[in-house]
Amino acid sequence: MTTAQLDKMRLELRRGVLVLAVLASLKQPHYGYSLRKQLQDGGIDIDEGTLYPLIRRLADQGLLDSEWQQGEGRERRYYQLSELGAELLSQLTDEWQHLNNSLSNLLGTASQETK
Amino acid sequence: MELVKRYIAAVQRELPEAKRDEIGRELNANIMDQLDMLAEQQGELTDTDIAAVLKQMGHPRTVAQQFVPVQPLINASYMSLYKNTLFMVLGILFVLHVIDVTTHWLSSADMGLIGYGFALFGGFIDDACFGFTSITLAYWLMSRQQPVANSGCGSNWQPEKLPSAGPGWQHIKLQDIFTDLASYIFLLVVIWYPLYMSAEQLAQSALLLSSNVRLILQYSTPLIVLGIVHSLWQLRQRLWSRSMLATHVLLNAAIAVIALYLASTSPLLELNTERWLGVFNLQQLERSAMITLVIIALIPAWEALRDTLRLRKLK
Repeated sequence: MTTAQLDKMRLELRRGVLVLAVLASLKQPHYGYSLRKQLQDGGIDIDEGTLYPLIRRLADQGLLDSEWQQGEGRERRYYQLSELGAELLSQLTDEWQHLNNSLSNLLGTASQETK
Repeated sequence: MELVKRYIAAVQRELPEAKRDEIGRELNANIMDQLDMLAEQQGELTDTDIAAVLKQMGHPRTVAQQFVPVQPLINASYMSLYKNTLFMVLGILFVLHVIDVTTHWLSSADMGLIGYGFALFGGFIDDACFGFTSITLAYWLMSRQQPVANSGCGSNWQPEKLPSAGPGWQHIKLQDIFTDLASYIFLLVVIWYPLYMSAEQLAQSALLLSSNVRLILQYSTPLIVLGIVHSLWQLRQRLWSRSMLATHVLLNAAIAVIALYLASTSPLLELNTERWLGVFNLQQLERSAMITLVIIALIPAWEALRDTLRLRKLK
């Protein structure tokens, strides 16, 4: 497999997971840069060009509430999970856990067969 | 901070006007946070440091597209329908254009064979451009409305009603149907043009078939009409059945026989010799017409043979 193919598949794999990670991180209010730091600290590296548009799209879908606030001499837009977002996060978390269990079994079986 | 302003302006230029201020404001806040964090780590920032941060953000156009993804001209759910409409309309336009240009060619003293070819293909390109633009615009407008999810592929279908899985050739291509349709209509126009032309137009005509040939062709009219009906049948079914194939074999075999019979007839043409003087002599033209007819006969003969083989395989 070429690096380009691997990059493309990794991108596809990460795309849905990033939404879940962003929604989970926004249980507390965050502005763009602080959210990126929180994700990075949690081991999820996401570049700015992807994260900032993603937050806006989620807000446009009504999953996040946002508010401009003044802080440290500069205005910042804070985002937080909306009611709809919280509901969706709970459903997505269940889905993720179900998928994760099934995949762990599958990947476990696959790795035993390859040994 | 001049570089940041330039970067945000470049992103905003790529955005719809309604979203420029809001996204620009937010992007500015995010970049400033990032630069502040970098300044805390490195001290005062140079233009090179700022440029590196902006470069990491991505090209302004890419960033703008991430914020407001580009909408395709035609929604993916309409794409299959769009292509079908396009082929169908272009096919009909081609058939209509063949009728128009052939009628004009037969009644014109000024239009030669090369002129006919140019008028046929040049004119069709004009019509095709118009058709393509109109259809694309119509689908673009449809796509701008809320697209119907999986248009034409809803839940109201029955697996039992699907056609049986046959070989690849069983699906009839639209371009094949329209090529046949155009050929049949061309033949009809060529055969019957003396009926709707004045004596003056006939005298000016560039192509005159001998009365014997015209008579044979006129007797073949029912076959050509059958060909048109068969093409319309194909257009409706879009899948070869045994009965359709059998009719097609008979039709093509009959056309091949008529073309070969015509090739053996003499004279084929009734020419205004003065007009062709110094260009071709009568014998050369007769011989060319005969060879052309043999070549023409080979096409339906091949199709008849091919379809016979397919008919044997089709259950």
